[in-house]
Amino acid sequence: MKELLRDLGLNVRIFFQGAYLSYLALFAWIRPPHYIATKVVGPVFYMIFFVLMGAYVAGRNDPSFYVIGNAMQTAALSGVFGVSMSIDGDRWGGTLIYLFGSPANRLALFLGRAFMHILDGVFGVIIALGWGLLIFGLDLSQTHLPALALTILITVFSTAGMGLMLGCLGLITRNVMLVNNTIFFLLFVFSGANVEIGSLPGWAQAVSSIIPLTRGIAAARLLIGGESLAAVGPLLWGEFLVGAAYAAIGFLMFRQFEIIAIRRGTLEAF
Amino acid sequence: MKRLTQLRRHLRVILVAAEMSLRNNLTDGFVIFGIVIQPMIIALMAFWMLRDQGPDDIIYIVVGSGMTGLWTTTLFIGGQAISGERWTGTLEMLVATPAPLHIVVIGKTLANVLQSLSAMVATYALAGLVFGALPTIARPGWFALALLLTVPAYVSFALIIAPLFVLNPEVRRLQNGLEFPVYILSGFLFPIALLPGWTTPLSYILPPYWAARALHGASSGGDVADILFSMAMMMLSILIYGLLTARLFRRILYKARVEATLVRQ
Repeated sequence: MKELLRDLGLNVRIFFQGAYLSYLALFAWIRPPHYIATKVVGPVFYMIFFVLMGAYVAGRNDPSFYVIGNAMQTAALSGVFGVSMSIDGDRWGGTLIYLFGSPANRLALFLGRAFMHILDGVFGVIIALGWGLLIFGLDLSQTHLPALALTILITVFSTAGMGLMLGCLGLITRNVMLVNNTIFFLLFVFSGANVEIGSLPGWAQAVSSIIPLTRGIAAARLLIGGESLAAVGPLLWGEFLVGAAYAAIGFLMFRQFEIIAIRRGTLEAF
Repeated sequence: MKRLTQLRRHLRVILVAAEMSLRNNLTDGFVIFGIVIQPMIIALMAFWMLRDQGPDDIIYIVVGSGMTGLWTTTLFIGGQAISGERWTGTLEMLVATPAPLHIVVIGKTLANVLQSLSAMVATYALAGLVFGALPTIARPGWFALALLLTVPAYVSFALIIAPLFVLNPEVRRLQNGLEFPVYILSGFLFPIALLPGWTTPLSYILPPYWAARALHGASSGGDVADILFSMAMMMLSILIYGLLTARLFRRILYKARVEATLVRQ
């Protein structure tokens, strides 16, 4: 029992230390102006772009549809880019070999990479919603705010699940940024951030149902429209399960790549 | 005679630099994303957003989405035409060669802009795929002429951005935040009339705005006088940005040769 508790304590420490250090490592090259341009200023411009594009192309004059969709899409900046860069950053930084050589619990190591980005992502979505309030007069008067906060947290977790999986792809490919950028832009279309899911072709709706964000965005729209937490419960469970599924696939890939890389001696081969 | 020889040499440098850039870019994942994937995703989204699928709307989206690819690669690839050399450690050698630095950078950005035009081909093909028929360009002659002017207009803009990113690394760090503002101010996918009036002068100083206005006008059968005016404004911006470029490159060479601080990050 004592040993079990000691192991648990060690794994918790690995989780939080790994989370903190891998997040901090990103700032070796991402400086505050870069962070502000990407996470604080960037979302306001793509929000404005899609609101105006929606008004002109789709003839929809209610900005809240695009404001909520694109504010929630901000979750993917941390979830997809941040998390995947934390995973594949070990390969680029030359530390992967030591990581795989250590006896540290792999699950704690792996999931720890997402922790800080989830907090950061929640912060990012709140800022983006703030822009929506300020520029487009988003109405939150009917909103159950704790429920919205929970929705944001689950949505960011779900995108982080996808980020964990994409980060693993970064362990075997050089072009992970191509994959990340493509996924990020595809989410703009398939998640329902800018196009009604119901107006998508059947195959695109099928894609929407298996990606993160879709249910989170739908839940946020309902909550801001005045619905209760109970009403969006199934959507939130769905969003959580999608994220957990991606994280699980990512972990399986992580373990598999470790075994293959060690067997072939190609751990850091590019 | 001497001037003619010099011109020939410069042309050769431009072509060689362009060829090298093209070869490099062909294997660059981000370039592929910028000129093919991203414009096609934006176009697909806009096609699905369309309220009624009139031919004018479709060609408007094809041109506008293509222009987003043109700007993204101009900003991220053209903007790093000089700082990229700094990262690879070749900037000092480039500055020391007999070929003027700006001529080399013109070659690099020309390749980048020409390559980025394929964004428009990609979105055009996508429209054919989605709607089962290729959209029609209302004034093909004017469109070709506008496209011909768009190339130097974008090159002249990239020639301002590239040295600015080297001279002010803080500006380069804002790069990620500069992509969508230009999409908005240039009216790629909606008219700038939807924006507040105070932003209009900002649109006017952007060559992509005049390029978009000319190309949208020509593709949708707009007024010829307006297309001509937009092309004249593109020429004016090429001239003004050309003069600014000369000053910026003099500053870069001063930093390299007198202050010896060019390769400092």
